Amino acid sequence: MEQVRDKGPAGTAAGSLDQCTDPYLRCAFNGAAQTALGVSRSALLVHSPQGCEYLVNNAFASQECDYMETVTLCTKLCVDEIVHGGEDLLARTIREAKDLPISVLFVLSACGPEIVGDDIVAVCETVQPEVKFRLLPIECAGFRGSQYDGIDIALDTMLRKLVRGSGEKVPGSVCLIAPHANANPTWPADLAWVRQVLSRMGVPVVATLAHRTPLSEIENAASAEASIVLSHDAGQKAADYLFATYGTEQVCRGIPLPIGMTNTQRWLTALGERFDALETAEEMVSEGERMVMETCRRKWPMARFLYRVPAAIVADATVGIPLVRFVTEEMEMTPRLVALYSSQRQVRELLDRELESLGLSPGVVLGTDVYRTRKCLADARPRVVFGSTIERHASEGLGIPYVVEVVRMMRQFRLIDREYFGYGGILNLFECVQNEWTMAWRSKEKRYQAKW
Amino acid sequence: MENDFIVFHGDLQQLLEKVETGEMIPRLQASHAPMCKFFTAYYVISGIRHVVPLVHGPTGCPLYMSDFVRTRECCETRGVPLEPTACTTLDESHVIYGGEGKLLEAAKEAYAKYHPDLIVILSCCCSGIIGDDVESIAREAGKLVGCPVLALRSEGFGGDFRSGYEDAFKLIMDLMEPPETKRKGTINILGARWGPNPTEFTWDLDEIERLLSDIGIRVNAVIAGGCTVEQIRHAREVELNASWCYDWGQKLGDLMQERFGVPYSRTGQPYGPTATKEWLLGVARPLGMEEKALEVIEREMREVEPELAYMRQALEGRTAVIEISEFPGPIRALSLARMAEEFGAHPVVINVHPYTIKERMPSIKYILETGVNPEIILTKGLFHLGSFRSSKETEDELEEIVRGYDNVIFFGNSGRFPPCPVVNLTLMNPAFQPQYGFRGIKNIAALVRQALENENLPRSRLFRGMLYGTSAR
Repeated sequence: MEQVRDKGPAGTAAGSLDQCTDPYLRCAFNGAAQTALGVSRSALLVHSPQGCEYLVNNAFASQECDYMETVTLCTKLCVDEIVHGGEDLLARTIREAKDLPISVLFVLSACGPEIVGDDIVAVCETVQPEVKFRLLPIECAGFRGSQYDGIDIALDTMLRKLVRGSGEKVPGSVCLIAPHANANPTWPADLAWVRQVLSRMGVPVVATLAHRTPLSEIENAASAEASIVLSHDAGQKAADYLFATYGTEQVCRGIPLPIGMTNTQRWLTALGERFDALETAEEMVSEGERMVMETCRRKWPMARFLYRVPAAIVADATVGIPLVRFVTEEMEMTPRLVALYSSQRQVRELLDRELESLGLSPGVVLGTDVYRTRKCLADARPRVVFGSTIERHASEGLGIPYVVEVVRMMRQFRLIDREYFGYGGILNLFECVQNEWTMAWRSKEKRYQAKW
Repeated sequence: MENDFIVFHGDLQQLLEKVETGEMIPRLQASHAPMCKFFTAYYVISGIRHVVPLVHGPTGCPLYMSDFVRTRECCETRGVPLEPTACTTLDESHVIYGGEGKLLEAAKEAYAKYHPDLIVILSCCCSGIIGDDVESIAREAGKLVGCPVLALRSEGFGGDFRSGYEDAFKLIMDLMEPPETKRKGTINILGARWGPNPTEFTWDLDEIERLLSDIGIRVNAVIAGGCTVEQIRHAREVELNASWCYDWGQKLGDLMQERFGVPYSRTGQPYGPTATKEWLLGVARPLGMEEKALEVIEREMREVEPELAYMRQALEGRTAVIEISEFPGPIRALSLARMAEEFGAHPVVINVHPYTIKERMPSIKYILETGVNPEIILTKGLFHLGSFRSSKETEDELEEIVRGYDNVIFFGNSGRFPPCPVVNLTLMNPAFQPQYGFRGIKNIAALVRQALENENLPRSRLFRGMLYGTSAR
């Protein structure tokens, strides 16, 4: 946990650097796996003990991979390989996979082999001539940082090793970066919305880094004229690299992602201005806002009576920062606590700008953990929390009537992906609030037994 | 029946011999990866109430536990309050300079934050390789905080999944104090894990406890399924240890017998009438409560008479193909084989992974000693490259095997589509739980009836396509 600020009624004591944390974020290895699994016709080989495979399974689910198409493998390191080195075992395992019908095999190293000095890059170079697919080693031991660091490490490796810098740009095109660094449990819907918007503006997407992305797209990423980072938590380094190396200009930088009416309008306008499609952007804004208002009028959601109710937001920065405005403007609540999983400088700056522009001064915790969240909730005493299943349980006993689970849900399973971005996203979020409100009203016990 | 996809066809005894001689060890390195030692150690430790499992490592290791075990399994479905999954969050600088100082501070901080009854430091790959002395830090921290601090070397590479369970159970023994008294008619139930709530599947343990209570036997602690540190301290005061599953309780039971002289009742899982009787008498006899136990058994047997008659009629002369390779577990498959045989069926167990045989050697040998030695078939699909997920290959092989027998009934789960009645024994359906004991007989009989009476109804093309692809037969 890196920063705790006392800015208002939810203010907490100045934070110390905790030695014992209960973290929300997974390790770098998990983030790298999530990124690699975004490449289609690929397989993943983790050079690790067998437990790390479970972090891969989690990444697999997050990228909505199909086990009939994507294979994940593990070298299952034991004491022998830690003592004597596991490079031979890695080479043997790559050879076992040589008949897989894939275009690239990502080889990821975990903590153990990196500490003992297994050189996965050298092994891949040695074995490469024996296999038909591309071998791409990614050194991403868990101790290298959080899952967001892992995403950045994997993107960096992919860009440096796979991109062919032809110098030819596709006019008016974009490369989308880090759509998967998003705590919306069905984030592919956010990506789909972005693609739909770009398509309507006539902006071709050259590459997506990464979700169901063919290797050829990554190879052509340098031909994009612009990049859009779809996360506030990861991906900025990739955008900086593309700019520094290939002159790929970043669009929509420094503005919150399109969650809520104002954020969506701002984001669409920035895109429209850059791609000479301002008129289309204005049409989309006007249609979208009309659709949201008319839908609400027809469906008549009752959960709109939360006027200036104190609220807390506990999420990643990607969802959490735009939610500040959504909660304040659209839902007319008053954020008293904003606790974000990550704590990078750009997150801090963006959140500061949003709070200042809204005239808000909630308690702010950057790089929060579960313990700090519970303590801050106890101090801030919000009536509504926008967060995850963890906050539902962490807020027990604190008298918080509504916990709207919008990120990292453990049980609410959605078969159809739902976006938070854009106008449909407003309705999806509204629906989460409505359902929570309904459940809070539902009678928990009957006053008497019916006769029949 | 011989097909080119069959890699082993014999009985359990023969398979055990092949595993012991190393003949049946999987050839592919990247096939079948169960949990690592760290995970399984964590499972056991988190089964103690008010414990802080303090993971000395990066954030990836505890997070699977945090999400899956703590939040989903414990908080969401078992009514357990949110408990910490604490971590020292080791980074590159700790890997270079060591993390012992941070660990000591973290242990003190964990006590101040969570006020636990016990802190258990769990090392993982990072801290294990760099050589952080977790035991010394635990001793030092123990002097500085108001609860015991233990350390467990649970590096993921340091052993198979079984060693994590066993080392954690061994560690728990350090908390057991010399008995002040002997508590008549009281036992411990050993071998539980997964979160501070009774064992994996509460219904089975509830059934055991119901029957024990009717006999007049008290349970001091379910170790480690929701037990308290206080209960563990008094664990040596019981007259007997028993296990909810022979496999998981065996190591701790043997160790407590060897070190503390607490006898351990060796009984298999109570599936079906004979195994249930054996289980109850195996506990009641040493306590001198056999007579009361027989009364309870007689009463319960009368209750399930219609189900017993139905099971005999339904299974007599059939071939019972049993496939419970991954979930809910191979020992349950062998227990079911015994039960099927008891009702007159010929059991054929398919795809019990040799890895499982290797890791569960003492339990497998015990099962053989009790006379259970079913026919076993292993197929190529079991050794397929990659993670162990629903596999079209094993489905096709299963269907082929079923076609090779007459009058087959399949015991497994409804994710399989063999051309015969399917008894859906998944433990994910609370409507038919428990499977243990006399209530288990009622539930399994209901599932068999469901399978036989609906045999001719069409199966789901949707689920089949989802699991095995649209090209599935």
